[in-house]
Amino acid sequence: MELDWSVDHEDGASLVGVRVRNDEAVPRRVRIESRIDGPLLPPRRGGVPESGWDATGVTAVLDPGERAAFGFAALADPSDPPVEIASVEPASVDENGGRGTADGETDPARAAVRDLGSHRPPRAAVDGRGGPDRAASESGDAAASGSGGDGADRAGDGTDGEAGREESTAESPPGSATGDGVDAWFAAVEARVERAERLTDADLETATAVVEERGGLDAVAELDGRVAADAERLRAVRDRAAALAERAEECEVPAEALEVLS
Amino acid sequence: MILAVAGGKGGVGKTTLAYNVAAELDAAVVDADLGMADLPDGRGPDLHDVLAGAADPTEAVRPGPVDIVPCGRTLAGARAADLTRLAEAVAAIEREFGTVVLDCPAGRRADAGVPLAVADACLLVVSPRAFALADAIRTRELARELDAGVTGCAVNRVTDPPPVDPIGDALGAPVEVVPADPRVGRSVTAERPVATAAPDCEAAAAVRALARRVPE
Repeated sequence: MELDWSVDHEDGASLVGVRVRNDEAVPRRVRIESRIDGPLLPPRRGGVPESGWDATGVTAVLDPGERAAFGFAALADPSDPPVEIASVEPASVDENGGRGTADGETDPARAAVRDLGSHRPPRAAVDGRGGPDRAASESGDAAASGSGGDGADRAGDGTDGEAGREESTAESPPGSATGDGVDAWFAAVEARVERAERLTDADLETATAVVEERGGLDAVAELDGRVAADAERLRAVRDRAAALAERAEECEVPAEALEVLS
Repeated sequence: MILAVAGGKGGVGKTTLAYNVAAELDAAVVDADLGMADLPDGRGPDLHDVLAGAADPTEAVRPGPVDIVPCGRTLAGARAADLTRLAEAVAAIEREFGTVVLDCPAGRRADAGVPLAVADACLLVVSPRAFALADAIRTRELARELDAGVTGCAVNRVTDPPPVDPIGDALGAPVEVVPADPRVGRSVTAERPVATAAPDCEAAAAVRALARRVPE
């Protein structure tokens, strides 16, 4: 087994690239482990590590003469060498085609999360409600936002959610910016829907005019997709707005009672 | 037994059939459509909370004529939901309730794939219009990749006799025709399965036939 590696160091993290080649005439399973003294960050898709990766390295099956390349990051200074071959053993051919899944992807659900597109709605759609929430937490009303959904959001959203919040807080006061954003979005959607409406059951002349105005058939095809996506998102926004309105109506802030207490 | 009710397109009646087949199987039905829930919700924890690790799966089961695990309505909840928790959650519900029916979302993203990966078998729902078949075929492929055997295919809300044989050939599964019937449409919001509301109608017979094909 030939092993070749490179390592870059940036901001306290080591970025390691590894190439291996099976120079024998039989398929072999190789286990490559990090020697860097720090947590290993494997490549991920959909938040799930690529198959074959675990907390210390990667296992893969290589056909005769086959090369494979891997990369990972580790939160520590590089060591020399950064990786080592922990084990090499012959791999029997009958193991589900052999490739990559050396220790077998036993969990089809994890594989589905990794291999299919993400189900998560775009953050921009979720952030539509950022304003009021931020206002609440800024005025020290943290307890009010402690309901299940919000807590879950924070837990799942992790660092990027926090970053997003800080960013928009720094940029502008809450409320106004979000309101403008929502208006701008509605305006853009409305414009697209109007164009799509003009094309729906249009006569030849109108259709030609719209196609020219949009700059060709490709742009019109794109419009179709955009409008379909708009419809999906509008429905989601409608549901969310209705649910929030319902909750808002049910709320009673006992301001007077609290004043009496304080 | 975990049965996924799937179909490529939205709006073909997956939720309605999931609810009514669950009634027939005496199963709990889980609304696994994280982004666009359809089954009635209520107070208490929902699937978003379960997948965010904030609630116990069996706590989220809401008893009714058919026991329901509702799904949250918020996009934030959908974003926070960790699909890798679904298998464990559904297994816990299966242990307590015996049979679980998963109402899957449309499409081929992870939220459609994971329920199929978790399920032992799946039931495809297709609208009688020709273009809907293409989506159903894609979902059948996905189910095959994820090892969820197709037990049957429901051609739903039928008014004119559909081409049953070509649909069965294309999907490689036995076809049941579910006639358009307002009592089926109302069953979910009214929480009254068609088997109770109109046990003698054709739609109820089709639902029974679909349920019979589900292995024990």
